[in-house]
Amino acid sequence: MSEIPSPSQTNSKGGETISPQKIVILGVGNLLLSDEGFGVHVANELMKLDLPQGVSVVEGGTDGFRLIDTITEADRLIVVDAVKGGASPGTIYRFNIDEVQSCPSGFKTSVHQIGILEVINLSGLIGKTPHTIVIGIEPKSLEMGMELSPEIKARIPRIIELIKEELKRII
Amino acid sequence: MGKKITIDPMTRIEGHLKIEVEIEDGKVKNAWSSGTMARGFEALLLGKDPRDASYVTSRFCGVCYSVHQICSARALDAAFGANVPWGGNLIRNLVMGAEYIYDHLIHFYQLSALDYIDIMAVANYTGKDRDLLAVKDKIVGLVKANDTFPLTPRYKPDEFSVKDPDMVISAVSHYIKALKMNAKARNMGAIWGGRTPHYQNIVVGGVTSYPDINQVARFRTMLDEQKKFVEEVYIPDVLAFGTGPLWPLAKMGVGGGHYNYLAYGDFPKDQKGKNLVFPAGVIIGLNPANIKVDPFNPDDITEAVKYSWYRENKPVHPYKGEQVFDLDKKDAYSFVKAPRYKNNAMEVGPMARMIVAKNPTLLDLVSKGAKPGAVARHAARAIETKLIVDACYTWLDELLTEMTKPGFRIHDTEHWDPPESGMGSGFHEAPRGALGHWVKVKNKKIDNYQCVVPSTWNASPRCENGVRGQYEESLIGAPVPDPENPINVVRIIRSFDPCLACAIHIIDPNTNEIRKFMIE
Repeated sequence: MSEIPSPSQTNSKGGETISPQKIVILGVGNLLLSDEGFGVHVANELMKLDLPQGVSVVEGGTDGFRLIDTITEADRLIVVDAVKGGASPGTIYRFNIDEVQSCPSGFKTSVHQIGILEVINLSGLIGKTPHTIVIGIEPKSLEMGMELSPEIKARIPRIIELIKEELKRII
Repeated sequence: MGKKITIDPMTRIEGHLKIEVEIEDGKVKNAWSSGTMARGFEALLLGKDPRDASYVTSRFCGVCYSVHQICSARALDAAFGANVPWGGNLIRNLVMGAEYIYDHLIHFYQLSALDYIDIMAVANYTGKDRDLLAVKDKIVGLVKANDTFPLTPRYKPDEFSVKDPDMVISAVSHYIKALKMNAKARNMGAIWGGRTPHYQNIVVGGVTSYPDINQVARFRTMLDEQKKFVEEVYIPDVLAFGTGPLWPLAKMGVGGGHYNYLAYGDFPKDQKGKNLVFPAGVIIGLNPANIKVDPFNPDDITEAVKYSWYRENKPVHPYKGEQVFDLDKKDAYSFVKAPRYKNNAMEVGPMARMIVAKNPTLLDLVSKGAKPGAVARHAARAIETKLIVDACYTWLDELLTEMTKPGFRIHDTEHWDPPESGMGSGFHEAPRGALGHWVKVKNKKIDNYQCVVPSTWNASPRCENGVRGQYEESLIGAPVPDPENPINVVRIIRSFDPCLACAIHIIDPNTNEIRKFMIE
């Protein structure tokens, strides 16, 4: 969707080159389903750190639609979430949102409803779609529980390093 | 035996729902509604400090988090013996009022509208309005780029679908505007809640943060903008569609169901909570000519599990409910329990609220020939959005008055510590319908916790008497001339604003190539 030029896309950036780009790190997930809450745990850790100017951290919980203003206000978005890719638990993924087919291709194949990727897609309708990178982790457990699995929790420092590297590349 | 079709999952709803219908002679003859995901977050609360409940329960759902937070706080208020000061109640009302506005807007525009319009009709727009031409270009551009999500996938438009290019393009432009309104509305609750999503301010005894005049002013400014959209766009759209092209569907009363309605009542207008914006009440077997509303008694609620994947049990009051799954149970077909009120399957939500309230605007539509059903449900939702917007102004004024009083309070601090033991129930009219939480405290810890959510009422399976749930019953007789295109089934279910199981948020990309993005 980001390839399609729209009037609002030009408006949103027009002539504002002086202000630094707005980078949002968005941690999402359900805190009650153990590793599903990974993004939330990471966001809470990131909030304790000194991050460069123009970088904000949003703990999005399980929200979908209501994150749309966070998304449209961002020039660049780094989404942190659990990603089910079928690799071994703790595997870290990094991809550009344009690289994955996020839209349900039919009623029968949709595995989730209005999720975060759909909302990012939708943001193009009302403004700009930020350049979006997803940093994800293969979960071990999706059982009910408010704690991460130990091996997933142990990956948080590495994820934070990767996010910092990502920021260095952008800024 | 008719032809059986299954819709699984329903898209553009929030949660996991499977609907099976049996079609005979072009009509639904029988129906089954299944929640396909196990709930049972309540178990997480056992043994915890009761004060955690309003935070933990707000994580139950990614869409309607604050509704659990307030319901939980109210259950705890009762169990702790806390008496929320009027200032605290006003702020609670304002947080939840904001919730209504964006929930209902999203439901109508983002989740439902596409069931009623033929979106491709925008290509035939021949008018000269520049904004609408931009919408046309945008949609046509998306179609050409083969990138039309979320406008597709869709069911095929049928004889009821609106195909007039002017009406459709205006609806699509409002769809886009509603998204923008939603982005703005999101911050209204955060003014009081401290953050969003998952507000922080509603706790047992009241709220946590004293308001200042700037907050009141900011809320009012944002409310002005929402009010304008509700009055000038949302309500006119619902009326134009409902009494225009969709009037035949409204008159047929497609999606009526049992005609039993339940409202717990909510939004106190005074400290005692005697007067409510949405009154409480029960209607069994609606007679529109003579509406008889009985008082609501929470003791008359039971939950049956005969057709649910829970350990066999007699129907019990939620205080006695348990969450022990039995996945091998014969005849079970849902993770949703079957709540009943005096053994009746009930509808909860906007239409139940507006009928129980004998709302004149809705009853006027009914007297003109609209039968309570899918279309009337959309109308009721729009009507109550306006009621809430208006009430928010009153609450802001009252809050300003309260703030100037000496000894202004927002919290009953004397009842902050958990009691040794106690029990309490909390009720809230969530945008989707009647929500209840029941808590038992023992040794200052949570001993039992049960929630009955609105979609449990509406989406319930059969109970031990074989009585269908409200979704199931509302589908009976619905026209489905083409089993490949059960658009009326979808319209009916969606009109309830279904929400089940709540918020699995994992990214599960539709590609087999996700592994190539592994970095370590």
